Amino acid sequence: MIRFERLTKRYGSLTAVADLSLEVRGGEVYALLGPNGAGKTTALRCLASLLAPTSGTTWVDGVCTQDDPVGVRRRLAFLAASMGLYERLSATELVQYFGQLHGLEGDRLDERVEAMIELFGIESFRDRLCGRLSTGQRQRVSLARALVHDPPALILDEPTIGLDVLSGQTIYEFIDRERARGKAVLFSTHQMDEVDLLADRVGVLRAGRLVAEGSPQSVVADTGEASLARAFLSLVQQPEQGVGS
Amino acid sequence: MSTWRVVFRKELRETLRDRRTLLVMIVVPVMLYPVLLITMEQLLIFGMRNLEAEASPVAVVGEGAAGLEEVVDRFETLRRVSIGTDLEGAIRSDSVTAVVSVGPAIEGAGSRAVVVLFDAAADRSIRGQSELARAVAEWEDSLLARRLDEEGLPRSFAVPVSVADSSIARPDELGGYTLGRILPLLLVIMTLLGAFYPAIDLAAGEKERGTLETLLTAPVPGRDLVIGKFVTVALIGVVAAGLNLASMLLTVQTGVLQATAILGLEVSISALAVLVIFLALIPLAVLFGALFLGIAVGASSFKEAQNALTPVYMLVIIPAMLPIFPGIEFGPLMAILPVAGVSFLFRDLMTGGTDVGLGALVLVTTSLYALAALAFAARAFGNERTLFGGGGEASEVPSGSLMDRIRARRGHGEVPSPGVAVLFIVFVAVAFFWGGIPLQIFFRERGLLAAEWLLLFAPALAFVVLGGFDPVRTLSLKRPTGPQAAASILVIFGAMPLVWVIGWLQTFVLPVPWELLEGLEELVTAETLTRLAWLLLLLAVTPAICEEVVFRGVLLGGMRTLEPWRIIVLNGVIFGAFHLSFETVIRFLPTAALGMVITWSVWRTGSIWIGALMHLLNNGTIVVLASIPALQELFSDPDRPPPLWLVPVALVIFAAGVRLLRNMTEPPIAGLEAPGSIPPSPETL
Repeated sequence: MIRFERLTKRYGSLTAVADLSLEVRGGEVYALLGPNGAGKTTALRCLASLLAPTSGTTWVDGVCTQDDPVGVRRRLAFLAASMGLYERLSATELVQYFGQLHGLEGDRLDERVEAMIELFGIESFRDRLCGRLSTGQRQRVSLARALVHDPPALILDEPTIGLDVLSGQTIYEFIDRERARGKAVLFSTHQMDEVDLLADRVGVLRAGRLVAEGSPQSVVADTGEASLARAFLSLVQQPEQGVGS
Repeated sequence: MSTWRVVFRKELRETLRDRRTLLVMIVVPVMLYPVLLITMEQLLIFGMRNLEAEASPVAVVGEGAAGLEEVVDRFETLRRVSIGTDLEGAIRSDSVTAVVSVGPAIEGAGSRAVVVLFDAAADRSIRGQSELARAVAEWEDSLLARRLDEEGLPRSFAVPVSVADSSIARPDELGGYTLGRILPLLLVIMTLLGAFYPAIDLAAGEKERGTLETLLTAPVPGRDLVIGKFVTVALIGVVAAGLNLASMLLTVQTGVLQATAILGLEVSISALAVLVIFLALIPLAVLFGALFLGIAVGASSFKEAQNALTPVYMLVIIPAMLPIFPGIEFGPLMAILPVAGVSFLFRDLMTGGTDVGLGALVLVTTSLYALAALAFAARAFGNERTLFGGGGEASEVPSGSLMDRIRARRGHGEVPSPGVAVLFIVFVAVAFFWGGIPLQIFFRERGLLAAEWLLLFAPALAFVVLGGFDPVRTLSLKRPTGPQAAASILVIFGAMPLVWVIGWLQTFVLPVPWELLEGLEELVTAETLTRLAWLLLLLAVTPAICEEVVFRGVLLGGMRTLEPWRIIVLNGVIFGAFHLSFETVIRFLPTAALGMVITWSVWRTGSIWIGALMHLLNNGTIVVLASIPALQELFSDPDRPPPLWLVPVALVIFAAGVRLLRNMTEPPIAGLEAPGSIPPSPETL
């Protein structure tokens, strides 16, 4: 469903992502881990056609991002860490707007907007301007916005950053639900507990390179550490030599 | 519904919910502006009447002033008081507003010297002087009449010519003329302000709030996104300008302003003229909207966008002010000058004398500029570097002070970033202004030499060494090949006459001040070989080293990661601006053009030596030519056109040089280091 094929992204002489290849299948949740500056956001932005790769390709639902960026955007939901809500639009207006941008019109648009409002419990604050919503409410609206067109692939860039436990729980439930519906979910995070809780597979990025991949259990076993958090630390703190992708 | 309309409707809805925009768009023109105008007028009238109502205390001193005292006493606007011998002190202490001092009769001449003493820096004193001057004139008339009567001559004997000025301008024409000088500037400013905040909000504001990334993940073609946003900004600009126009016209045409009646003015602008003014506002709003949007999207925050747009705002106001200045006529050149053309068209429409051809030229050229600005905005929105910065999610260069950033690059073999390079130029420019100008005033030519080496060359060297930058890459210290040097000689010798033509064309808009020309002539003209050698050292060798190290060294080295056209245009413009002073505005365009040519050559070859060679040849040639007596006349008259045959010859030489240089070099890749420089060690984010 989601595929990176030897993706490399450079900024001048700096390499942000180096020769990255990975795949996320339908009904699978994949956690992309790495310290700050490891290249997670750059990789996700390349997949979402926000950045042009220096070399390599990315695919979503059989469509190549570099050949048909608009086609890829139709097939995925992208939830950035900043949430990205328009402060002077109401929750309903915001979801409607993104539905329209995804080509929904008339009854179909109304149906999807109402379904999202119901699914994420937005009814009580649907007409309130986004600038006046609490963090938890903003996260719900953000999810509704991302899913209004019901895409097969989901990209979540640090989705629980800055959220309290209850709001984080909404995200976990949402990811579980989408996995059950056969969606491919790729998310980046620094929280090892949520990886343990949600991810079927993990990939660890260090300095733009994929240095480990597999189920959380296998990554822990391969490093010989006691927990995923320790395995992660051991992987990202290794010297450059001897580490391959 | 097409996607751009979806974007437009949303942007409009959001913008109309923004109080700041509404304030600038509706409240200011509809309410505050007329209120302000009327208040100012009332204060002015109140002040004038206050001055008129009170009789000015004046003093009359001197021998034989009795007759004048009688005349002054008849004036209701004057009140005669007695003062001591300190006339100036009496005025300064406000005891009197003015003093008339009548001197003794000049022997044999039959006349007296009369001096009116007053304070030209005080309104009350100016008014006293004006009234007193009337009284003196009346006294003079009475004396003259008495003399003529004594001689039995008619009064007309002393008036061989009777002069009376009579303006044929009707009150409405006079009103149009007066307001036509002010209103165009206000309209341009209001259109600009109308587009200013929405452009920042819809571009940089969207980035600051983190919504741009979200928006770009929706299947919206970049073109639709730009059009939707741009139509919103342009529409708001037009509405703001339209409201302002209506509000202004209502204020001045309905007779609310008393000043117009007092001054004998009528304001009557025809409906057709108002319609044309409004039509001309549309491409102007489009131009501002697209230009501001394109610039604002490069900023990462509202504040940064404001900082980036403020200089543009100032630059736009200058051409809009041109119709205010006397002596600048509305001709084809003014018509094609961005913003100035519209401003002149507004003025002519208000005064009722519009040339249809010029009006059409303004509308067409402004529309073309607007389209170019739109293309620029679309390009900016399609550029990932503009949208997300050049370093992706994180940069190895920490944020913080300039010194922090410079220190972070030490030992990394790095070049300065564009921002750091520009900051260095600002520092050098300020130091040169405050240090270089006094040096030149006190030590003349030696001061200039010292300023170049101490305030340009030395700081550039210190910047590279202390900043830990790679000198080879930062200063483009690659050695050029012989053919490259030969090609660059062709380029500069081809460019020089073309730059001369640019300077000559500029004289149609900006006349050359003669004092400046004489000063320059004196500076560059050598009469002896020793003097020639000194001038070549001062004006050719020194700038070729010192200025090149700064502009084609540090500045170009820091900007190599930008797109080529930006590198070349920015470097040329900054180089031109550096050579600006109060008297030498005329040098900007030719110097900037020359700077662009040299920058392109250095960018292409990666060698600063090429820049130094071209700079040396350009300046050296001018010094040598100006020192040949037979040629002096040719250069000393700026109005004299360059020989026509020189233009095609120069074009051929220039094109040949450019072609040769292109063929023998690879184009540097945008975002990468200078060609032929040391490859950096692999670094990752």
